[in-house]
Amino acid sequence: MTEVPPEGWAAALAGLPGMGPARLRAVLGVWAPEEAWAHIAAGSGCSRPVVALTCRPDPAGTAALWRVAARKVSVAGTWDAHQRAGVAVSLPGGPGFPAELHLDLEPPAIVFSRGDTAALDGRRVAIVGTRRCTRYGRDVAFELGRDLASSGIRVVSGLALGVDGAAHRGALASCGAPPVAVVGSGLDVVYPPAHRALWEQVAGAGLLLSEAPLGARPEPWRFPVRNRVIAALAEVVVVVESAEKGGSRHTVEAAMVRDRVVMAVPGSVRSPVSSYTNGLLADGCHPVRDALDVLVALGLSTVPQAPADLRPEPGPEEAPVLEALAWEPATFDDLCARSGHSPGQISVGLARLQAGGWVVERAGWWERAT
Amino acid sequence: MIATIPSATLLGVEGTPVAVEVHVSNGLPCFTVVGLPDASCRESRDRVRAALLSSGLPWSLKRVTVNLAPSSVRKGGAGLDLPIAVGLLVASDQLEAEAVAGCGFIGELGLDGSIRRVPGIVPLVAALSTRVVVVPPDCFTEASVVGRHKVRVAGTLTELLAALRGDAPWPDPPAAAPVPPEPASLPDLADVRGQAVGRTAVEVAAAGGHHLLLSGPPGAGKTMLARRLPGLLPPLEGDDALTATRIHSAAAVALPPGGLVVRPPFRAPHHGASAVALIGGGTGYMRPGEISLSHCGVLFMDEMCEFPAAVLDALRQPIEEGVVRVCRARATVSFPARFLLVGATNPCPCGEGGSGTGACRCPQAARQRYNRRLSGPLLDRFDLRVLVSRPDAASVMGGPPGEGSAPVAARVAAARELALERGVRCNAELPASGLDALAPLTSGASRVLEHRLRSGLLSARGVHRIRRVARTIADLGGLSGPVDEAHVCLALSLRAELAPAEAAA
Repeated sequence: MTEVPPEGWAAALAGLPGMGPARLRAVLGVWAPEEAWAHIAAGSGCSRPVVALTCRPDPAGTAALWRVAARKVSVAGTWDAHQRAGVAVSLPGGPGFPAELHLDLEPPAIVFSRGDTAALDGRRVAIVGTRRCTRYGRDVAFELGRDLASSGIRVVSGLALGVDGAAHRGALASCGAPPVAVVGSGLDVVYPPAHRALWEQVAGAGLLLSEAPLGARPEPWRFPVRNRVIAALAEVVVVVESAEKGGSRHTVEAAMVRDRVVMAVPGSVRSPVSSYTNGLLADGCHPVRDALDVLVALGLSTVPQAPADLRPEPGPEEAPVLEALAWEPATFDDLCARSGHSPGQISVGLARLQAGGWVVERAGWWERAT
Repeated sequence: MIATIPSATLLGVEGTPVAVEVHVSNGLPCFTVVGLPDASCRESRDRVRAALLSSGLPWSLKRVTVNLAPSSVRKGGAGLDLPIAVGLLVASDQLEAEAVAGCGFIGELGLDGSIRRVPGIVPLVAALSTRVVVVPPDCFTEASVVGRHKVRVAGTLTELLAALRGDAPWPDPPAAAPVPPEPASLPDLADVRGQAVGRTAVEVAAAGGHHLLLSGPPGAGKTMLARRLPGLLPPLEGDDALTATRIHSAAAVALPPGGLVVRPPFRAPHHGASAVALIGGGTGYMRPGEISLSHCGVLFMDEMCEFPAAVLDALRQPIEEGVVRVCRARATVSFPARFLLVGATNPCPCGEGGSGTGACRCPQAARQRYNRRLSGPLLDRFDLRVLVSRPDAASVMGGPPGEGSAPVAARVAAARELALERGVRCNAELPASGLDALAPLTSGASRVLEHRLRSGLLSARGVHRIRRVARTIADLGGLSGPVDEAHVCLALSLRAELAPAEAAA
């Protein structure tokens, strides 16, 4: 049997139930990893007050839980699995541990990564937002990701549905700077499952990071914890769309505590998924209209100019339809009601605008194309 | 002695003639019914005996055999009580054979000798080829619908016997219920405020017989629009009215005061309906389902995504063929089922959805599961798929009332006339091969369709459906020439992709 290095013992510790970063930090603060494992396997995991403090309200119960879980784990097996899967395990101060995280307020006690850690070397911007975004949000996230990556900025996000995924797609589409994804589950547990292909592409072109060992389920508590890592890694956090109670709030609060710049994409005041971002703007955050705004915030200011608009000008019949559509999604019925024109007139206008690339339809909803 | 009395039994919605043969001879007293009677039919033995005794007629202590010919067909129901009783009276010499010559009998007997109604009088009477038919008094209007027979009524066995013997005149048929002055006032389209698109869709559906799917949040007015659709359809005529009446009669659904079903039926089954309730069938006696009851009318399925998926998919074949063949071990029955399907559904379980505004609270998986209830092939059969929005406050509170049903119904009738001239009932039935001749496209119209085809937004079959709808829209405008760009554009706008393959977010 091969000798298990300290990283292997720490990886096994991170896989214990309820072992979040704060507890793991406390455990590894008082013992070396191998020694810590021995204590936990013996049921005395919470014998030190520093550890017991993080395990309130029931340190004894937690220690018992860990003891039972530890019996079923083969540390050497866990370590072998990480080696085989090509997942690098880094402890603070060790090789491959991101320097920014080492100095963080709540530094991770362990980091698992796939891909090239060199992807972190450079300017980094986080693009975050709701999973339930509108087409507007998705398009803006995609364009920001694309334009920032092609300007050499590393796009950091969480690989979730909606805004996160769109930002990564944009970064990949530009073939520019490598994308960085911080995920809440083990690096072999693809969540959401729909993003399996994207997950592989990001690992291939950039870097996947996690605080959870292989096999860890995407438990709800892991996501706010993950969001703090995103905030810690980024210089600027851009919120594209988020409802008042969305998960982006955690990222923004974590970013503010760490003195990162928070910027927000303005949205319609009627759109529920823009309520939080518009609130941020009202509170004094800088608005993001395009990648240039972010580059200015970073102290850079070069961005490739967008190509000229080649679409045909809307004719006299189409213009009122485009005007009625405004900038939020609408149904055919809404358009008729807003413009006061008959369905026949509106339908002709929509067909021509669609042919000209001005509007798109999805599931019966019409939106302006950009 | 032997007597043969003509009667009929019900098979699906069609009547089958039955000859009731009664043979009375010497032997051990007994009473047997042969010729494949079902349970309720076999029980007629006891009802007939009690009815005869209560009417003061003697019960002969002889050997009685009743045969229901043809004996290969299964007979159900109590409608054969009356012919059996009459046959018995003739065979036992209590009634002259001449007195019943040329008479057919249908009716159930009560133990007190009264004659009661049975379901399916219209098809039963239609199956009889005798000159006179005798039916229970409250079936008079139904029986008269067929029109080929002299219809006689009798309330009790005693009355019937007196009339047949010539001792008393035939009892008068019950006075027809006064026809209500307004034809059962249907909801009017003028009540619908705003909803320009929904109104257009309902009008096009009525004119062209295009199946319509309304999708929208709760309270948007989907049900309100659907309920106004029958008022736009022209009244049923000729064979259609008779077929609809036969189906309603066979299913024991109350017929309108005039007897004949002339208003296009409107059926709205609850989403708990089983496949058999919708399609038709049953074990002992095959009953037409909701789709047949809405023959020539409207089948409205509210909350369509709440129907079990298997029930919905059972609709696919009848929608294509206009008939449904129900096969059971004992018999196979065809029910007519040419209906206009109107579905109403919420865009997602919480109702606020559509992915447009982000107001939807449903998890994506729940939304997809909800939308999967409507299978692709079923969704494809809806030529009109419309998103209905809640009308804005101004048009609900103060706006001018919309156009009433009467002018719209006139346009619909004119459009249906144009379809009849093309040799189809409505434009939804136009054959794909005839579209180039019957619905030619102007160059502008074909440009629009070509663009859609090339960008992959429309399939080749979708083009045929769009062209039929565009034909209807042109007909509603009174234009029977080529279909132009505006018609095609409107047809395209009225056929939204409602359940898209959810784009990877």
